[in-house]
Amino acid sequence: MIMTWREAFWRQARSDHRVLMHLGASGFEACHRLHFYQMATEKLAKAWLTSPAAVEPPPHVHKGFVRMLQIIKSQPGVRRRLGYSNAAVFARSINALLDLATNVERLAPALAAGSRPNPEYPWRDAQSGELCVPAEFHFPAFDPRNPQMAKLDKLVLALLTNFA
Amino acid sequence: MAGQSPNGIRRQAELLAKENREADPGIDKVFWFPDTNEVRLVETSLEVPRADDGLVHPFYFAPAPQDQLPAPSAIALIRPEEVRQARLPEGWGDWPDAVELVK
Repeated sequence: MIMTWREAFWRQARSDHRVLMHLGASGFEACHRLHFYQMATEKLAKAWLTSPAAVEPPPHVHKGFVRMLQIIKSQPGVRRRLGYSNAAVFARSINALLDLATNVERLAPALAAGSRPNPEYPWRDAQSGELCVPAEFHFPAFDPRNPQMAKLDKLVLALLTNFA
Repeated sequence: MAGQSPNGIRRQAELLAKENREADPGIDKVFWFPDTNEVRLVETSLEVPRADDGLVHPFYFAPAPQDQLPAPSAIALIRPEEVRQARLPEGWGDWPDAVELVK
């Protein structure tokens, strides 16, 4: 069977996610886990942005993850597959994660523009004027022990596991 | 999906419009673009940013017959001011082809 663009993006998103799980347990600097987190979520969104019949790759956008969450929060098929019977409860659970997801989306170096924390390239802090190195930055907002981050982690894993 | 009747596609479009609005009160207008195989919806909300590229980017969902969604669906969320301005995906027709599904 010929692989579709959609399937290819699902597979790569899952692989990125496996790497981030490995990195999370390895003791490497937080930036490396976040790099794969941003990439996995971007590809997850692109998989859903791609028609199963598409003969072209998905659009070249970095801002798909939040839009994806804004759409799936009201989709009954997605909600039920994730085990939620109540539409309002499911929508609220997603809404509560949108700010954090927006920050994940902004980790893409193309959106950080050299002036905001990102997991790949050094940047100059806008307030202090000092150069910052991703490997030496702790990214406290994305600590996996943060309850919101743990919920987002769980949702991303469920989406990668339950859909294709 | 082969075998979907036009009425079946429309019923699914109306069901999705209703469920989407119930789950997300921020959704205002829902436009249905008729197609024989797929449910195609463009919904408006003030909670989403304007697209950078002027295009409508739908998200594509597989059929879920167990949820009364036997046809695949493609759903986009845009800002109200992008209606009739944003370019539709290839094969969706033009904005005058849209059927507004009212509340």
